[in-house]
Amino acid sequence: MNAIAIGALSTTLGPHAPTRAAGRRMTSCAGSTGPDGATFSGCIVRIAERGDRDAFACLFNHFAPRVKSYLIRLGAVPEAAEELAQETLLTVWRRAAAFDPARAAASTWIFTIARNLRIDLARRDGRVPTSDDSELSEAPARPDDALSALENYTRIGIAVASLPREQAQVISLAFFADKAHSEIAGELGLPLGTVKSRLRLAMARLRGALAEIAP
Amino acid sequence: MIPQHHPTETLLVDYGTGALDRNARLVVAGHLGVCESCRRVVAEIEELGGALLAALAPAPLQPDALDMALARIERPAPVAITSTAPNDWIAVPWEVIEAARTRRRWAAPGVWVAPIARGPGKARGYLLGIAAGMGVPRHTHRGAEMICVLKGAYRDGDALHRPGDFAWNDETVEHQPRITSDGECVCLVAAGGPLVPRDWMGRIFQPLVGI
Repeated sequence: MNAIAIGALSTTLGPHAPTRAAGRRMTSCAGSTGPDGATFSGCIVRIAERGDRDAFACLFNHFAPRVKSYLIRLGAVPEAAEELAQETLLTVWRRAAAFDPARAAASTWIFTIARNLRIDLARRDGRVPTSDDSELSEAPARPDDALSALENYTRIGIAVASLPREQAQVISLAFFADKAHSEIAGELGLPLGTVKSRLRLAMARLRGALAEIAP
Repeated sequence: MIPQHHPTETLLVDYGTGALDRNARLVVAGHLGVCESCRRVVAEIEELGGALLAALAPAPLQPDALDMALARIERPAPVAITSTAPNDWIAVPWEVIEAARTRRRWAAPGVWVAPIARGPGKARGYLLGIAAGMGVPRHTHRGAEMICVLKGAYRDGDALHRPGDFAWNDETVEHQPRITSDGECVCLVAAGGPLVPRDWMGRIFQPLVGI
């Protein structure tokens, strides 16, 4: 079996050759008023093909503030969140050739990079992140705040807003509070099975909204 | 080769949302590299994560943030680490290969370990290589332990664990795995605490391995 090291910051889903869809090239990726997946994918492809700095700027302007927002919700102080957002987008630049627009949306890929960087930083040198850790703030965002932070004109924002409250709550704890199933169950005083089924139901209801976001 | 032993759906979701620590993430990633069906479960979670990320209200950046980023891409990028795993391993993230290359040490005759990362708390991530035919002394665990086979195979009761297979053992599991006779077995392990040996041989084995 052929084994190749996968880049540190990749989604570690295995080595894959970049496949670039011809004709997907966008003349512009302006229009950052909404998450236009195809357009942002095109930006990453342009970075891979010709180191396109305008495409990078476009991605940066849209995603860096949102990655920062994501990290703040997970408890990072703003300075650390900004640094990690920078690092996330620089990783997008460096690893653009590993992005496969046929496999994932730009937002999905950037999410996995930010997620992995955060995990690796938090655990570097075996340090246990605590509330007095300089990289983490003392007051992590409350889960309900996180969901209300979704922009309500986005399809996913609308879909999440229409979830029953208990389903929205587990989605929020899972994605924006760094909680495993077992921790969510403990926090809400629910059996593990209930947490699992709420997450599953929420995923099923959000699937329709996700399908509308082209890769 | 299609793995026969998989992480639970719960664990896959925790992986996707970012709730696993680094060591656990690496072990699950080892399995995902060879398992299409688990990859599909994770892909769906990551797609939702991406959609939520893209819909978050932006946090304002420093005014010069983009200029700083553009200045940083002017500089030569850090040299990509392209170390290659031994070609009889399944694909693993580079830090696992680095650990094998730089931190591998013999722990006992026929047994080597290569620590990957410590923490949080008593948690440990390490590579474990055990020679063909060797038995691991009967033991149980403090906290959960995750294992992904990278090379070779071991038998645990009736179950055969081969490359890409995933195992989750906790304090309720007392077992005595044995490496198959056809070659060395290398496993990627994330353990929540030290093994708890159940017999005299284990009490000798444990301090030697230091895990």
